[in-house]
Amino acid sequence: MKAAGLVIALATGLALVGCAPSTGSKAGGSGGEQGSGSGTVKMVLWPGPEGDAMSKVVDAYNAGQGSKDKIKVEMTLLSRQDTFSKEATLMAAKSNQQDIYFVASYNVGQYANSLDPLTSVDASNYFPVAVDGLKYQDKQYALPLDVSNHFLLYRKDLVDTLLGTKSQWPAYQAVAQRAIGERRDPKPAAEWDWNDYTAMAAWFSKTANPSSPTRYGTILQAKNLLYNTMIWDDVLWGSGGSWTTPDGKANLDTPAAAKAVGVYSTIYKNGWTSKDSSQAEFPETQAALKAGTTAFALQRSAGFAELNDKTKSPLVAGKLAIAPVPGQKTHVHALAVALNKYSENKDAATKFLNYLATKDAMSAYAEAGGIPAMPSVLQDKASINPAFPQIAESIDKYGYSVPVFPNTFQAYSKIAESLSGAWVGQQDAGPALKTANAALEKLLG
Amino acid sequence: MSTRTTSRLSKWVLGSPLIVFALIFVVYPVYQGIQTGFYSLSLQNPDTLFTGLENFGTVLTDPGFLAAAKFTLLFALAVTAIETVLGFGLALLVNREFPGKKVFFTMLLVPIMVAPALLGVMFRLLLNGDIGLVPEVLRGVGLDVSLFAPNTVVPLLVLLDVLQWTPFAFLIMYAGLQSFPSDVLEAAQVDGAGRLRTLRSIVVPMMKPIIFAALFLRLIDAIRTFDVVYVLTAGGPGTKTTTMSIYIYKTAFESGQFGLAAAASTIVMVVLIPFVPLFVKRIATPGAAE
Repeated sequence: MKAAGLVIALATGLALVGCAPSTGSKAGGSGGEQGSGSGTVKMVLWPGPEGDAMSKVVDAYNAGQGSKDKIKVEMTLLSRQDTFSKEATLMAAKSNQQDIYFVASYNVGQYANSLDPLTSVDASNYFPVAVDGLKYQDKQYALPLDVSNHFLLYRKDLVDTLLGTKSQWPAYQAVAQRAIGERRDPKPAAEWDWNDYTAMAAWFSKTANPSSPTRYGTILQAKNLLYNTMIWDDVLWGSGGSWTTPDGKANLDTPAAAKAVGVYSTIYKNGWTSKDSSQAEFPETQAALKAGTTAFALQRSAGFAELNDKTKSPLVAGKLAIAPVPGQKTHVHALAVALNKYSENKDAATKFLNYLATKDAMSAYAEAGGIPAMPSVLQDKASINPAFPQIAESIDKYGYSVPVFPNTFQAYSKIAESLSGAWVGQQDAGPALKTANAALEKLLG
Repeated sequence: MSTRTTSRLSKWVLGSPLIVFALIFVVYPVYQGIQTGFYSLSLQNPDTLFTGLENFGTVLTDPGFLAAAKFTLLFALAVTAIETVLGFGLALLVNREFPGKKVFFTMLLVPIMVAPALLGVMFRLLLNGDIGLVPEVLRGVGLDVSLFAPNTVVPLLVLLDVLQWTPFAFLIMYAGLQSFPSDVLEAAQVDGAGRLRTLRSIVVPMMKPIIFAALFLRLIDAIRTFDVVYVLTAGGPGTKTTTMSIYIYKTAFESGQFGLAAAASTIVMVVLIPFVPLFVKRIATPGAAE
């Protein structure tokens, strides 16, 4: 079947049921001569902090090293929502329209058939966990660009007040008793386990503690969205679970997974998070913390800078602090760039990728607002973002990446689909986990 | 050349741009879409393999697809019924002179001028429990409602669809009322028929083809619902609000299973196509709506 036909066919098939499909074509080309090692390199990225930062790196490259190499990089920003679906369409059409694709740890296995392994790029400066997350069948398919991990973002002023006011502790212990069945003292956020998280969620909620300074203790990112699986994975890993057994079998129908679902459903059903959490993701979590209605939340590292900015978050800037995720496990994924297998200008594209792998390029990326996956750059650039050293430390100490297999992307999606009802108490954890486990088993192949 | 031959030729000449357009952008893609459904095409395996009806069988036995089909049908029926009734009521209301009519008319049409995905983003902000205007106003009057909670999200989606698409039904029926023969109404008035009787016995029967047109267009569009639901719920919690469009989108672009997605699209098309002649007959044939 001809590739162009496939793309048009899919477009129409989806149009029949109202999807706005993306289209690609085989037309175009990089503009450079194949194998010449020069010319135009076309790259896809998505808009937002990563795209903004990368555009400055590209400008610097084109004006400097690129000029010497006779390479010009042209970057296309697709919409944040549709970048991967549009790339998937181009890949399915075996298009040579782009030389460098934007990929991530969670879809590199799926896209590997359309990518060339990176054999000549030096990846030694990156976080090992970020590089490992981009390997499929022992081959590195993408170069880390931006790293994402999770933190517990919490209202330090409120937690410190509780810790420093011992007269409140008996009341806290009583709330903890009702929430987790155990009287316990409040602890500093860095020492929380998932029971502390639950007890604190109750304490800072009006429903359990009418004198709480916030309406809700926390906000759960419980929308049926694959990215929310990543957040829940922290609870799973932090409770001693994981997606797979050591021999690679699906491992979601376990007591650890049930406990992890229980953390969410207990908090949701008791109203220690907004009922709207069932449709919450990154922006809603930012909004809840920014509005000061919520005391703490698990959030991506990228969220902190905005919340700590007095102009963007006047109510809470300076009051929020970072702590490791309870359970001391943080999901790490890298946003990355990869070489299109069907590119006609691979040599030039590889030269640019080699440039991106340098500390200089990633320093420029950090200065432009990105979070590079290089620990030394994060340490050096603490003046730009005070969270950088903590990101480096957290990834180094607590980071994990989920197994990379061709269906990793689908697995995230299927787990969200199977469990999001249970996260908000719409379904019992047992059957939901069985469904998720069966889906994962099938996807593992 | 005879007049008849010239007439026949001119029909083809004048119609040829449309025919070419339809062949390139409708017939060929539909053919390719249907064909793709017979192949095992995925990102993991870009080499296509003919699999016959396997994709269709997989889709039809997938509980996820059946659940999506059920939700889509119920959702589409509900919103179509509400929007048609409201649209008709608004058309009757606006089909008379009153102060500020032009402003009211313009305001009514605003929702259909906004891109659905953008509307979804707007709703997401407006209805957000922490920063949204609507929850704040509701709290101000003592109603602490979580609009995105699992038990309120479906009615919310229906309400948002009604807000967005009632103007479309209204517009069609208002156009119909504008061309309504005034002498019939005057005769009814002379005969002493009241407003309700005139509406029931004259306006509604004569407007039936227009009403069916509005119903048909809205139903088809509602079955294709994607943007607002995807932006607001992504089909969840669980699969509670997964429409067929979302199912197909996720199958294609999250699972990378293009063959399955094409098969699902084809199934939806095959199920819907038989309804087209029925509706067309009711709309186009005088008296068929009686």
